[in-house]
Amino acid sequence: MIEVNEALIRKVAELSRLELNEQEIQEYVKSIGDILKHVDQLSQVNTDGIEPMVYGVDDTLRLRPDEVIEFGTDEHGKPKVLSSAPEVMNDGYKVPQIIG
Amino acid sequence: MSNTKTIREIHDAFDAGTTSPLALTQAYYSKIDHSKHNAFITLCKERALKQAEQLTQDLKSKHGGKVPRGTHPLYGIPLGIKDVLTMDGVRTTAASKMLDNYVAPYTATSVQKLEAAGAISLGKLNMDEFAMGSSNENSAYGNVLHPTHPDRVPGGSSGGSGTAVAADLCVAALGTDTGGSIRLPASFCGIVGMKPTYGRISRYGQIAFASSLDQIGPMTKSVEDAALLTQVMSGVDMYDSTTADQPVEDWVKVVRDTAANPSPRGMRIGVPKEYFIDGIDSEVRQAIECTIEKLKAQGAEIVPVSLPHTAYAVATYYVVAVSEASSNLSRYDGVRFGVRPKAAMEAGSPAEFYKKVRANFGAEVKRRIILGTFALSSGYYDAYYRKAGQVRRLMRNDFEAAFKNVDVIVSPVAPTTAFKIGEKAKNPLQMYLTDIFTIPASMAGLPAMSVPVAKDHQGLSIGMHLIAPRFKESVLLKAATIVEGISS
Repeated sequence: MIEVNEALIRKVAELSRLELNEQEIQEYVKSIGDILKHVDQLSQVNTDGIEPMVYGVDDTLRLRPDEVIEFGTDEHGKPKVLSSAPEVMNDGYKVPQIIG
Repeated sequence: MSNTKTIREIHDAFDAGTTSPLALTQAYYSKIDHSKHNAFITLCKERALKQAEQLTQDLKSKHGGKVPRGTHPLYGIPLGIKDVLTMDGVRTTAASKMLDNYVAPYTATSVQKLEAAGAISLGKLNMDEFAMGSSNENSAYGNVLHPTHPDRVPGGSSGGSGTAVAADLCVAALGTDTGGSIRLPASFCGIVGMKPTYGRISRYGQIAFASSLDQIGPMTKSVEDAALLTQVMSGVDMYDSTTADQPVEDWVKVVRDTAANPSPRGMRIGVPKEYFIDGIDSEVRQAIECTIEKLKAQGAEIVPVSLPHTAYAVATYYVVAVSEASSNLSRYDGVRFGVRPKAAMEAGSPAEFYKKVRANFGAEVKRRIILGTFALSSGYYDAYYRKAGQVRRLMRNDFEAAFKNVDVIVSPVAPTTAFKIGEKAKNPLQMYLTDIFTIPASMAGLPAMSVPVAKDHQGLSIGMHLIAPRFKESVLLKAATIVEGISS
């Protein structure tokens, strides 16, 4: 059984790119500890030789032809897919400078 | 207008000229404006009224005053759309601050099909953030009130849909169901909720929570309306490769034929002993057992069945669903869409940038991302994610074995009726256990429904849960029609 402590929550939060304050860390130590304690009952189930069920369907997923389907442009003639971006530059997504 | 008016009755009223798509749409907006339920996050009045006006004109000029039911089975029917489904040009938030400013550039296939059939979308319904919750208390836009008991929750995550339909703020609504998010609010609010088989309805345009479980479905005032909406939305979609190439039957006909001769004679109804455990509210148990007795009295064969892995449902789900969620929600990086806070612009590194952006997630969403990231992380993957996938397979095998002997399985939807606001908010595990009876059908990808059968002594609704084999919507709807008839 895993012990859920502050170090574990901090580590996983870092992997998830989440910033937590002290209060949140304490709350998640408790609630995630409770949940994983409940989840630990899965270890009672004999699953020898059982193939995990990962997908919601059994069939092989259909492929479609590798053809470009235009998504269209907005009323300003700009690619519509960019219309909901926080910042756009020259028909591309703009992000803050990260390399000096 | 009566709050039990079904689509068929509304179409009859259009034919008779006693109302019109425009008058009905305006009436709904007036009701919504006066409602205190907080059921909607965004209204699209201009879009809807324009559509309603056109449909009203066309009804006279093109269709001779008679609803073209054959080509447009949802002609002029005002619907509510859960705010997890995109509509071109309409704000879509998934009830998250992360998407507070997101205006979708495309329409979900499900909504597009409904609108092509003549439906009018009134607006976007409140929900738990990213569909994560059982009480609608996790919305960044405030909780939704229960339709009749304002101190209670409507259930979640499609709580806005449940309340809007029950309080007659729309004719019917779309919900989405990952572990019970259609069926639980349907049960708590006293309406019909249907989760079709996984793969029936395209998920294109549904903001993803757990992709192997997510399914769109209707929340309605009658079984017939649920059949109609499902029929319109089902089918293969090139934009969702998990949609099933299975025949879409005339489910409305199934419902009408059954309603004309509602006998359960010859129907084998399974009652799983694991769904009648200690901890079920006695009035809920009594209501379900009483309905089963009535089915038996009318000729149904009641067969005890066993689904031995039911006790592990919540544990399995809270590994599988959160793992998929942690992956799906990694897309909220503040680059392509959503809110990019000022603090992110001052970040010194990409990691810090992402953290500042992702501060917009609510507490429950963060909890699930952390849990899922943990379950998928190096050293824990086999013990959690792989193990849960194996137990999921066993849960599905349980159903396959049971369905060798029965046509449909019935149970309570939830152990209790609608609980009080705040009652479980501080205890996530207790909240998760609310979904114990709805999760197994989701894990197995089965079609399932909630049909209201009774009220408890406080007037709170109790839903019967019906589960059928994969792609046996016709059997499910037949049984649901009989249960609806018995209970009305």
